[in-house]
Amino acid sequence: MKLTSAIVGALAALGLAAGAATAEECGTITLGAAISLTGKYATNGIHAKNGYEFAIQKIREHGGVKIGDKCYNFKVIYYDDESKGDRGATLAERLIQQDGVQYMLGPYSSGLTKAIAPVTEKYHIPMVEAEGASRSLFNQGYRYLFAVLSTSEQYLASAITLAAEKAKEQGKDPSSVKVAVAVENDPFSLDIRAGVLEDAAKYGMQIVIDEKLPRDLSDMSAILTKVKLVKPDVLIVSGHSKGAATAVRQIGEQNVKVPMIAITHCEAADVTGNFGEYANDILCSTQWAETLKYEDPIFGTAANYEREFKAAFPEYADKKVPYQTAQASAAVYVFKDAFERAGTLDKEKVRDAIAATDLMTFYGRIKFSEAGNNIAKPMVLRQIQNGEYNVVAPSEFASHKLNWPRN
Amino acid sequence: MSRNAILHIVLLAATIAAPLLFPAYNAFLATLWLFIIVALTWDMTGGQMGYNSLGNIFFYGTGMYVGAVIAIGMYFPVGEWTDAARSELFLMSPGQYYTGLAVGSLGAGIFCALAALIIGALTFGLRGPYFAIGTLGVAIAGGEIVSNIEWLGGGQGISMPNPPGDFDSFKVLIYYLFAGLGVVLFIFLRWFYQTRFAAAINAIRDDEEKAEAMGIHTLRYKLVTWAIAAFFVGIAGSISAFQLIHFEPLETAYQTINLGIFMVVCVLLGGKGTLWGPVIGAVIFHVFKEVTWNYFLGGQWIALGALIVVIVVFFQGGLMGFFRRRFPEWFGVRVETKGATETAS
Repeated sequence: MKLTSAIVGALAALGLAAGAATAEECGTITLGAAISLTGKYATNGIHAKNGYEFAIQKIREHGGVKIGDKCYNFKVIYYDDESKGDRGATLAERLIQQDGVQYMLGPYSSGLTKAIAPVTEKYHIPMVEAEGASRSLFNQGYRYLFAVLSTSEQYLASAITLAAEKAKEQGKDPSSVKVAVAVENDPFSLDIRAGVLEDAAKYGMQIVIDEKLPRDLSDMSAILTKVKLVKPDVLIVSGHSKGAATAVRQIGEQNVKVPMIAITHCEAADVTGNFGEYANDILCSTQWAETLKYEDPIFGTAANYEREFKAAFPEYADKKVPYQTAQASAAVYVFKDAFERAGTLDKEKVRDAIAATDLMTFYGRIKFSEAGNNIAKPMVLRQIQNGEYNVVAPSEFASHKLNWPRN
Repeated sequence: MSRNAILHIVLLAATIAAPLLFPAYNAFLATLWLFIIVALTWDMTGGQMGYNSLGNIFFYGTGMYVGAVIAIGMYFPVGEWTDAARSELFLMSPGQYYTGLAVGSLGAGIFCALAALIIGALTFGLRGPYFAIGTLGVAIAGGEIVSNIEWLGGGQGISMPNPPGDFDSFKVLIYYLFAGLGVVLFIFLRWFYQTRFAAAINAIRDDEEKAEAMGIHTLRYKLVTWAIAAFFVGIAGSISAFQLIHFEPLETAYQTINLGIFMVVCVLLGGKGTLWGPVIGAVIFHVFKEVTWNYFLGGQWIALGALIVVIVVFFQGGLMGFFRRRFPEWFGVRVETKGATETAS
């Protein structure tokens, strides 16, 4: 008995010595997350999980979440949803019913979020998600779903605007621009496609190719052969990380020449590291860039976030920190802010506090619409110029000029 | 009362009491009944008739879509409901919801039965592995076709209306729907397997040419059997659509490599061509799957693969076959001792 207490005492002393005094006294708020650790979304699922963990660490270093005169630290229970919707829904239910989770972080992808949101909604569990961008999430009347990111129709629509500007510079009518679209058959990419088609229709552009990527996203050579024949002015590809990797690799291998190529998930797929030259002059949509002038007291500037994240996760040392990670961290930050403003652990009051969020973060401003999507943060478009990601649109954020035409 | 009757009553009582006793395991128990339903219906053709279909998942996926389209279509334009960019909010009243659930599920069953007649007419000319691959092709094609129909939401899938009222009671309702369907199916098959009709499909399994020579119109028997199976699977699919709330075509509805294969594994595990085999197989398989998925994460597929190999190598007759060989007297088979045989001869 004496021995045990001596050991406990010694351990406690060690803990104090290590400077963890504040952390020891804090309580724990448990969040739940079903996330894709295996399956087709595994790459981004892991990016998101790392983002969550990094934010939890940073918040702990800054004294945790202060509710009244108590402090709390976040802890997340994770399950692997295998990139499958029905699995995700089952796991969400398990987190809520068996693990007693009261607050959820989102999964990766719109499809998984669509599968999980009905469950959290019915149990009145507030979910702040960072990786589901499809507009179809925000027209279901959900009250407990909040998304820190911009919706997906905005991802590549600015590429269409750029193409129209370029056509005008050349003395041509924007309606002469020919657009080719190849997207994955999933909620996210279909919504990207919808955004592109809407904007192309505004300019009267012609859609010359409108194809779906094959379901395993590992080969789009048939579509690219068609692209070489039809010679569009703009090529749009969207298929999460795997689709991005396939597109850049095969565009390079097949020597596809299109004046403007715009894709999503460049950083997450690390196309510059993996495919080098092939990735040059490709346009990439991004929710966040480390060069943007956003700042908050926990993470510092966007640039600071990238630096510290790389220090904490050395596997990212020689690539871009993907925005999937940044927005995952931002989602945890939204929870911290909401808990502190609510001043209670009461689920409903926290939900109302989340809904009232108006927060400047390193990731951009976060303010939710009635439907739960973030309406305060723009998307930016970067171009890979000699292996560097440079912001080229929209003009108020642009640091570099667009390289056009791509060859 | 016989021991058998008591056993049945105890099992029925357990079925009714389960969701009230273990509310946290509701979803698990509901899925367990889904496994029992798909295993029992698969065995109708696979075990009793000798036609190993890998395409029964087609009826599950089609049931989901038909149930959803009917339930939504009765009150709203389906194309607008599935449009991701719609800004209008569609809400269903509880009355509309439950009517949709009932009519949609029944409609799904009928639609799938008719689909089985048509697909069966085309594929029942195939035998053995050709039939298996042919029906697998139907299931894969079904998923691909549906995922390209924009009116059905394409690759987005369909978000069903939110269930009215309290979610826990909704889960209980879903459990009873699956359990009720499973019990009805089981009682039906208990009767069905004693009819002359079932004797005919067994004859088809044992030797189709001879059966035909005896004057059995084999195609008609095969079609009717498959249509009955598809009817139940279609209803189960529709209930799943309401249960999952959101589903998409390739991985939820027409999930060939998951449920489409699991149903076959359940039957092989429990014992083909028996009434209880698929039930026992489904229970063991589902428990095994949940346990490995929860406590052996990362190795779950390896464990599952190992289980399948063990079944196929060591338990070719399934657990029922194994017990029947070991303990024939349990099955009412009288075993004469060696001495008795000698006296008889």
